[in-house]
Amino acid sequence: MTPRGILSLLAAIALLGFSWRFADVRPELLLRPATATAIWNLVRQLFPPDLSPEFLRIVLRAAAQTMATAVAGTLLSLIVALPLGVLATGTLWNRGVLVAADDRFAYRIGWMASRLARTILGFLRAVPDLVWALLFVAAVGLGSLPGTLALAVAYSGVLGRVYADVFEHVDPQPLEALQSTGATRMQIFLRGVWPQALPHLTAYTLYSFECCVRAAAVLGFVGAGGIGYEISVSMRLFEYGQVLTLLLVFIVLLILTDVASRYLRARSVSRAMSASEIRPEPKSPLRILTGKSRRLVAWMAAFSLMVASFALAGFTPEALIQAGVASRLTDFVRRMLPIDVSWAFIGSLGIPLLQTIAISLMGTVIGMAFAVILAVPATSTLILVRGDSPGGHRIVDRVLRWLLFWIARLVLNILRSIPELVWVLICILAVGIGPFAGTIALGLHTTGVLGKLYAETMEEVPIRPVEALRSLGANPLQVLLWAIWPQARPLLSSYTVLRWETNLRASTILGLVGGGGLGQVIYNNVQLGFYSRLTTLILLIYALVLASDWMGERLRLSVA
Amino acid sequence: MIYSLNSVSKFFVQRREKVQALDGVTLQVRPGEQIALLGQSGAGKSTLFRLLNGTLRPTAGALFFDGRDTASLTGSGIRAMRRRVGTIYQQHNLVPSLTALENTLCGALGRMSLLSTLRGIFRPTKADSELALHALELVGLADKRAARADELSGGQQQRLAAARVLMQSPDVILADEPTASLDPELAETMTSLLAGLARDGRKTLVMAVHKVDLATRYFPRVVGLRAGGLSFDVPQSEVQGDLLNRLYARDGKSPGDHDGDNFQYKFRCAR
Repeated sequence: MTPRGILSLLAAIALLGFSWRFADVRPELLLRPATATAIWNLVRQLFPPDLSPEFLRIVLRAAAQTMATAVAGTLLSLIVALPLGVLATGTLWNRGVLVAADDRFAYRIGWMASRLARTILGFLRAVPDLVWALLFVAAVGLGSLPGTLALAVAYSGVLGRVYADVFEHVDPQPLEALQSTGATRMQIFLRGVWPQALPHLTAYTLYSFECCVRAAAVLGFVGAGGIGYEISVSMRLFEYGQVLTLLLVFIVLLILTDVASRYLRARSVSRAMSASEIRPEPKSPLRILTGKSRRLVAWMAAFSLMVASFALAGFTPEALIQAGVASRLTDFVRRMLPIDVSWAFIGSLGIPLLQTIAISLMGTVIGMAFAVILAVPATSTLILVRGDSPGGHRIVDRVLRWLLFWIARLVLNILRSIPELVWVLICILAVGIGPFAGTIALGLHTTGVLGKLYAETMEEVPIRPVEALRSLGANPLQVLLWAIWPQARPLLSSYTVLRWETNLRASTILGLVGGGGLGQVIYNNVQLGFYSRLTTLILLIYALVLASDWMGERLRLSVA
Repeated sequence: MIYSLNSVSKFFVQRREKVQALDGVTLQVRPGEQIALLGQSGAGKSTLFRLLNGTLRPTAGALFFDGRDTASLTGSGIRAMRRRVGTIYQQHNLVPSLTALENTLCGALGRMSLLSTLRGIFRPTKADSELALHALELVGLADKRAARADELSGGQQQRLAAARVLMQSPDVILADEPTASLDPELAETMTSLLAGLARDGRKTLVMAVHKVDLATRYFPRVVGLRAGGLSFDVPQSEVQGDLLNRLYARDGKSPGDHDGDNFQYKFRCAR
C-alpha cells in the first residue's frame, strides 16, 4: 500500500470514529427488547389504515392542498428563476464569443450582475426548503401560504442554476452567426439560445415539479399545511392507522405526478421533433376535439388549474393584501436583524455543528453499506436468468431469483419514497429523540436512494465485457467483481459523494422533528422568537453547504 | 466429436417479428480441427459463435458439446462447458478500466475458487500472475502489462483478447472476426498466431475470417455461411470461385443485421 493510501485509510477511520462519537451511535439500543416492542406496536397499529369518511375528507383536502402548493410553488419559482437564470448565464455576460469584443465598462457591469445572480441563486439553493418554510411560517403564520412561498424561494435557486447551465451549454455556433448579422444580445438570446434550450428547460421544470410535490408534502412538518402537517399531527396522537392512510395517499400523489410529467414530457418531445418525423400524437383525453378548439380547451384547463392552485395554496387577494403578508414579511426581516454574533451563542453552536456533520457522514456510510447489500439482488443482469441462455434452469430456481429481485426492489422503493423526516419520527419511537434517531433515519432513506442508483448503474455498464467473462465460465460473483465493479466504480463513487452532499443539507433539518444537530437549535430559537439568532444559523448553514460543495468537488475529482 | 449441431435454428424477436439468424445448421466438429468460417456480415456468424460458447441456446434443434446435449446442462454444467471454450470477440470485449495484466487474469476466473476470486482483486496468486505474464509475452504485450485496456490501440486490444484466451487455456478457441479492425499485415500475424497456437496445443479452432486467402492458407477446412444456413463445407483445396460467388452474391434484399449489436440492444430494452 502506498503511503498516500495508508494516510487516507487512517483519515477515513478517524472520521468514522468521530462520526460514531458525535452521531451518538449506540447499536445496543436497537437490540434491547423495548425497541422491538415499540416497532412491533407501530407495525401492528399501522393496520388497518383509517378509511373512515370524516378522516378521508381531511386526507383529500390535505392532498389537494399539497398538490396546489406544489403547482403554485413551481410556477412562482419559474417566474423568479428565469430572469435570475438569464443573468447568471456566464456565456451571455462575462465570457465567450458574445462578449469577446465588448467595451470594458459594460463588460464589467454585466460581469458583476452575473456574479451577483449566481451568488443569490447559490444562497437560495443552499438553505434547505424546510428552513425556508420554518421562516415563512414564523413570519406569516400556519397554512399552505408559507409552504408555497418556501417552495418558490428554494426552488427558484435550484431552477435558476439549472436554467443558467442549460443556457451556457447550447451550441455556440448559431449564436456567433446571429451576432455577425448585427443582432443585439436580447435578439441573440431570443432567437439563438432560447429555442435550443427550451426542450431541456421543460424537462427540468417538470422534474423540479416532481421534487416540489415531494417537498410540499414534507413542509407540513413545520406547519406549512398539506399532507405533512396531517402526518405529524397523527403521529403525535399515536393514530398510526391514519399515518398509513396518509403515507399511501402521498405515494399515490407521487405516482400520479410521475405519470403526468411523463405525459407532458412526451408531448414536449414530440413537439420538438422535426416535421419529417411526425408521429401520431400521444393519446390525449381531449381527442374528441380537434385543432384550435382543442388547444383552447387545454389552455383554459391549464389556466383554471393554476388559479385553483393559487387559491388553495392561500394566494387569494384577501390573504395577500388585507392580511398584510407583505408588511408581516418586512417586519419579520427587521426582527432577524441585527445578526447575533455574540461569542456565547456562536460557541454554543460547536457541538450541534459537529453533530450535523457526524450524522451526515454516519448516515451516508450506513446507507452505503445496506445499499450495496440490497443493490446486488436488485440488479437484473446479475440475478435474473436470461430467457435466452442455455441449460435447463429449474423452475424453482427461476422463481426464487425472480422473488429475490422483486423483494429487493420493493424494499428499496419503500425506503426511498418515505421522506427522511417520517423516518426520524419512526426512529424516535425506537431509540428516542437525539442524533442517533436522525442518523438511522438518514441511513434508511439513503439506502433506498443509493440502492436504486447502484442497481441501475450496474445494469447500465457496457454488457460486452460482462458477456465475455460469462462465456469463459465466470460465476455471477466473479462477473460482479471483475466486469461490473471495475466499469461502474467511478459512477458509483461519484453518486455516493453527491449523496453525502445532499445528506449534509438534510442533516441540518432532521433536528426540526427531533433528529439532533443544528435543526434542533433552529427549532428552539424559532419557538423562543430569537430571530436574530436564526440569521446566524442560516449563514452557518450556507457556509457549511459551500464547504461541502468544495469538498465534494475535490472528492469526486479524486475518485473519478 | 467436440461439437455436433443437429439442424440448429435461432431466431430473435424484433418488434414482434421473428428474425431468423440461423436456419437449420447441421455441423460436426472433431477435436483439434481448425475451421475457417466465411460469410457476409449478417450471415449469422456471431450468432453461431454465441451458441457454440454457451451464451445463447438454440430456438430449435440440438447442440451437443463433447457428447452432451447443452439443453440438459444445469448452471454449473454450463459454466464447466464455458470454461473449456475460449472466445475472442469482434469488439474484443475487454474490461476497459482494468489493466492488461488484470484482463489477462480474467481468463482464469473459471477455475478460481471463491477465496482466490476475492483475493485476486487485491493480489493474484504467484502462479496465476506468472501464467498471465507468459500469455502477454506470447502475444507481445509484456511491456504493456500495466496499461489500462482502453489505452491500448485496436491491434493491441486484439492481442490482449488473445492473451486472455491463452490464460483460459481452453479446449476450443472461437474467434469472431478478430482481424476485422486490423490492417492486412497485422491480420495475417494474428491469424497465423492463433492457427499456430491451436496446432501446437492441439486445440479446436473455429475462426470467422473476412479474407478468403487467409482462410485457405491457414485452415484445412472452410465453412461458408449464408443467410443463416450452410452454403458449403469443404476442405481448403476445394474452395473455388463459384462457391465464393454464390456465398458473397448480392440478392435484392440485404441480409438483416440481427446478430451482434441489435441483439444486445434488444436484450437491454426487454429487461
